[in-house]
Amino acid sequence: MSMTSQIISHAASKASALAALAQSGAASEPTAPTFWMPTGASTIAGGVDHTLDVINWICYVFFALILVLMVYFVVKYRHRKGERFRTDFPHHNTPLEVTWSIIPTIIVIGIFVVGFRSYLDIYTAPKNAFDIKVTAQKWAWNFQYPNGATSDDLYVPAGRPVRLILRSSDVLHSLYIPDFRVKRDIVPGRYTYAWFQCDYPSGQPGKSPRDPNAKKVEGPEDPAQVYNLHCTEYCGTGHSKMNRYVYVLDEASFSQWMIDQSQWLDKIPEEELFFKAGPKIFARCQQCHSLDGTKGIGPSWQGIVERVKAYPNVGEGKKYGTWEDYVRTSILVPGDYVVPTYGNVMPSFKGQLNDKAIDAVIGYMEHLSDFDPKTGKYLKADAAK
Amino acid sequence: MSQTIASTHTQHGAEAHGHGHDGHAHGDHGHAHDPNLAHHFDSLQQQFDSAKLGIWLFLATEVLFFGGLFVAYAILRMSHPEIFSYASHYLDTVMGGINTCVLILSSVTMAMAVRFAQTNRRGGLIACLILTFMGAIGFLIIKYFEYSHKIHDNLVWGPSFYVPPHDAEGDAEAKMLKTAPAAPGAAIVVNNPATFAIPDLAAKPAVDASAVKPASVGPTGVARASGAPAPAPAAEPAPGHSEEAHPGTHLEDKAMPPNTHLFFAIYYAMTGLHGIHVVAGMGVLAWLTWRAIRGDFSSKNFTAVDTGGLYWHIVDLIWIFLFPLFYLIH
Amino acid sequence: MTTIPLPSSGPVRDTIEARPEGDNYLTHTRGLFSWIFTLDHKRIGVMYMWSVLGAFLLGGIFALLVRTELLTPGPTITEDANTYNQWFTLHGAIMVFLVIIPSIPAALGNIILPVMLGAKDVAFPRLNLFSYYLWVTGAILCIASLAMGGFDTGWTFYTPYSTTTTAGGVIPVLTAAFVLGFSSIFTGLNFVVTVHKLRPPGMTWFRMPLFLWALYATAIIQVLATPVLGITLLLLIVERTVNIGIFNPAMGGDPVLYQHFFWFYSHPAVYIMILPAMGIISEIIAVNSHRSIFGYRFIAFSSIAIAMFSFIVWGHHMFTSGQSALLNTLFSAISFSVAIPSAVKVFNWIATLYKGSVSLTTPMWYALAFLFLFTIGGLTGLHLATLSTDVHLHDTYFVVAHFHYVMMGSALIAMIGGLHHWWPKIFGRMYDERLGTIACWIIFIGFNVTFFTQFILGAKGMPRRYYDYQPEFQVYHVISTIGSYTMAFGFVLTAVSLFGSFFTGRKAPANPWGGRSLEWQCASPPPFDNFAKAPRVGDCYDFSVVHWDEKTGGYWVDESADPEVNPGAGGAKAAH
Repeated sequence: MSMTSQIISHAASKASALAALAQSGAASEPTAPTFWMPTGASTIAGGVDHTLDVINWICYVFFALILVLMVYFVVKYRHRKGERFRTDFPHHNTPLEVTWSIIPTIIVIGIFVVGFRSYLDIYTAPKNAFDIKVTAQKWAWNFQYPNGATSDDLYVPAGRPVRLILRSSDVLHSLYIPDFRVKRDIVPGRYTYAWFQCDYPSGQPGKSPRDPNAKKVEGPEDPAQVYNLHCTEYCGTGHSKMNRYVYVLDEASFSQWMIDQSQWLDKIPEEELFFKAGPKIFARCQQCHSLDGTKGIGPSWQGIVERVKAYPNVGEGKKYGTWEDYVRTSILVPGDYVVPTYGNVMPSFKGQLNDKAIDAVIGYMEHLSDFDPKTGKYLKADAAK
Repeated sequence: MSQTIASTHTQHGAEAHGHGHDGHAHGDHGHAHDPNLAHHFDSLQQQFDSAKLGIWLFLATEVLFFGGLFVAYAILRMSHPEIFSYASHYLDTVMGGINTCVLILSSVTMAMAVRFAQTNRRGGLIACLILTFMGAIGFLIIKYFEYSHKIHDNLVWGPSFYVPPHDAEGDAEAKMLKTAPAAPGAAIVVNNPATFAIPDLAAKPAVDASAVKPASVGPTGVARASGAPAPAPAAEPAPGHSEEAHPGTHLEDKAMPPNTHLFFAIYYAMTGLHGIHVVAGMGVLAWLTWRAIRGDFSSKNFTAVDTGGLYWHIVDLIWIFLFPLFYLIH
Repeated sequence: MTTIPLPSSGPVRDTIEARPEGDNYLTHTRGLFSWIFTLDHKRIGVMYMWSVLGAFLLGGIFALLVRTELLTPGPTITEDANTYNQWFTLHGAIMVFLVIIPSIPAALGNIILPVMLGAKDVAFPRLNLFSYYLWVTGAILCIASLAMGGFDTGWTFYTPYSTTTTAGGVIPVLTAAFVLGFSSIFTGLNFVVTVHKLRPPGMTWFRMPLFLWALYATAIIQVLATPVLGITLLLLIVERTVNIGIFNPAMGGDPVLYQHFFWFYSHPAVYIMILPAMGIISEIIAVNSHRSIFGYRFIAFSSIAIAMFSFIVWGHHMFTSGQSALLNTLFSAISFSVAIPSAVKVFNWIATLYKGSVSLTTPMWYALAFLFLFTIGGLTGLHLATLSTDVHLHDTYFVVAHFHYVMMGSALIAMIGGLHHWWPKIFGRMYDERLGTIACWIIFIGFNVTFFTQFILGAKGMPRRYYDYQPEFQVYHVISTIGSYTMAFGFVLTAVSLFGSFFTGRKAPANPWGGRSLEWQCASPPPFDNFAKAPRVGDCYDFSVVHWDEKTGGYWVDESADPEVNPGAGGAKAAH
């Protein structure tokens, strides 16, 4: 029994240390990946990992105890053929049964308390958190920043609590950043919240958060430090393709990024919009729309301009005036026009693609022959430079 | 405590009866057994007790089955109290009250039927079973009138709630949901039918309004006395609908809270499921009546009447909860 | 008070001799219709058994397809993520609704419960047959749903995805699950009434073997919880067909309401799966240790306690769904309370091995495997009941591993152990012990390789229901898939061992393992009416009066020495 009381006091002391750690919000280095857990890069990750350690050790002890006793008894009391059955066994032993009911009860209460305290930190966002709006839809993410910038990946400032305001356009999704130990379901029709704080900004060359000893992770922007962001509530065909990166930038870089991101479309001259911005935006559309005629979840864009212009409803009783109107409405209110044999499954991009972005898409469609039908990349890239 | 050999085990017939099953006989003996006693029971009392426990357990499952809907009602009511206080006025309390009395009376006749079966009074038994059956029919008839009025006024669940009545063709635009125009010959199909199946209730032929009173005509309206002039129709009469046009509907009412269709969704779900159970009960009653006419029941064997009666009582009991929740509280 | 005098020579029971040679419930009447319209609980149970095993094969094939696809990130055997989604959905739906929930109660329970109780049949044999045909209807509807377009919603059918997906097989499978629910309800109803009303004189509650306690507790859950699933599925069907909007936020409804309804049933459902399994383990361990179960009353009471507690913890499936912290806290705390009775049962079983006389038969190997796997499964439940760790682990492979450890590694393993334990009784044949034991070990090793790796996968952040995954997870998936093929091979060997008994197995004696419960007091296979004369109810865990009989190759029970049966006897039982 003394071993058990040692475990309890060990757990209790760890619990209070953990609580102190969680509440201090101390800046932390990402922890290295362990046998069980990935790197821990947020301020609450330490608390969660610690809770897991407490539970794990209790489990190891009890499992070993049960396994050893089981094997020992089976070997020691093995029945040999012809022997009489033993009759000197106890039928029950009330003090023992009471003890082994009470001790696990105390242990699980301890586990509950440890878990509860670290949970409160996960649940409650600090007051000075930086808000980022997140829209989840089948099958992509869109992150909207206070200055109007939107992004497909999540960029966050280091050293500040970040609160995500989550909403879904269609079905249940769930935002999960394993390295931050953050997860929250996204329920259509309401807002849910999640928060985290990561103190370890990018720009530290040669260090990968996934394994400090491994080589750099190649991301789309190729920074040194990326974390994965997943959808973890089943949402259909593209559920496993909703993976994006989280980039943690120091304050100065982050402010600059926000400004650049909000203006990236504005800075591009009109006539270059379609090849400088088009492919980037098309990367989202590519999930459902192909360029080479392959039927996907949505109609292929091959020959789209001619098709739209030739629709029977253009003319008397037409619902859209120009083919650009059709594209614009399809992006903002997709349910209004659904091509026969396709389902009404396209999400709305209102708030995610502004007018210039839509112009870029329209220009992209107009100049489709300039782009590789398989990859969507601009074929005249060298000339454009 | 030592075990006695249960002498009752030796009371049963040796042969399997010709039921097409492989029997449960227990060795040879000479005693005849009651034809009502199944082979796997030791005594009629045990058989009866088992049947009673069985039906009570079944009633528990019914309570839990409806319980889910009651919980849904409670949750909807808690989160949208304005919908319930508004929309409950559309229900005709008088009709609901009559239905309640009809069902309670039918429970009384059912209990009497059980008593008659227990006391070997076959005539009374048959009469009471038939009376109970008539009560069920009466309940369903009144329900039919209630439902048909509501359906006529499009006081129904889901998107149809937002389709103005008598507007079968043309541009009926849903208020809450995007219901695109179903223009004939359109190459573009709007709203995937699999996701938004809109029942075609707007095109249903209107009920002959002169035969029955309309249930209600507005949020404060109670059943209008027949003969009173209906207010002028607000919707333009569509060609082909010549009977008295209904007055301004719920859609015109500015006081109607959003999502009022939820009230009718839960109303139809609960009363509809209850109605299905009433129909099933009618089947049970018919079967009992037929068996009673055949002379199956006696003071020794009235189990089926008793258990069927218990089922009928729970059908009644569920209605007794539904009635105040929908019709009485506002 | 009177005792049947036993013949002074030889131990053979007169009840067993009373039957003509070869006449048992399998042979008493012949022909297809005697099976289709049977009211004999044993035949109904046998039909359930083959049906459930067939469904297990189908669900297992889908599992192997899933695991094969996951060998590589990206497409492996299918280009289409939608196909993969249908595979895992079907695997889950078939296994949960068609296999695990009915398996022990409907297959083994139907055959064994009345015999073990000392009754002639269940209380309502026609309802029993009707339950079976409801199962068949559900299975047919499930197959039909495949033909009508399949479904890809996950077995949990979360809204709004399940109400908006265009897959054509959703409504048929919802109907199938609805029908299967009623099959389960009626089986439970039958068992509750049977245990209450059809106990023979002398079979008091605390004389009942623990398998019956377990089946009784399970039956209570079946009766009370399954109707809620029924109404939930009905609401889903209505939502899909006429769009009432109760789960649709655009129409004022709430998607999370569905989750509450669904888990209110589905959490008690997992106890429907595990409680009978625990009952089987109690029987196997007691019989094969040849000693009474340690702490009988506690195990009996804990079955009821688990059944009751199971109704109040459903919210622990929804910790990240956005429900309030208060609700999360309550559900987490109560969930821990359910862990305690289960843990103490494990301690009781281990204590039953103490000073026993342990025979390592194939069922005993399965029971030991159960102890190992259930301990891991139960302990990892602690990780998931703890709020902060669950935030990280929810909807990852950690959960997948946890529930496979408890549903497959515990419930299914116990069922297969029970199959081996009662196979001689049911079919009158002994299977090949050595092959059976080897198969058990292969399944055990394969299982751990498959699913322990998934704990690591999940903790490292791999989400569930993923067709495609990060490349760094591939090594774990390859290991897991290799384990799954190993397991499949083990199951094939088990099938060979069991079915081979029909061809090469020796005839089984009435009591091959030395059991004391009543099913061992009749012939193997039992006669059509179970017992010619009422069996005497003694202490079903007193093995001191059990003796080996070399002639029959089985055991016999010397009841004249059992003071509970024969009060004049001194008895060889140890005093309490």
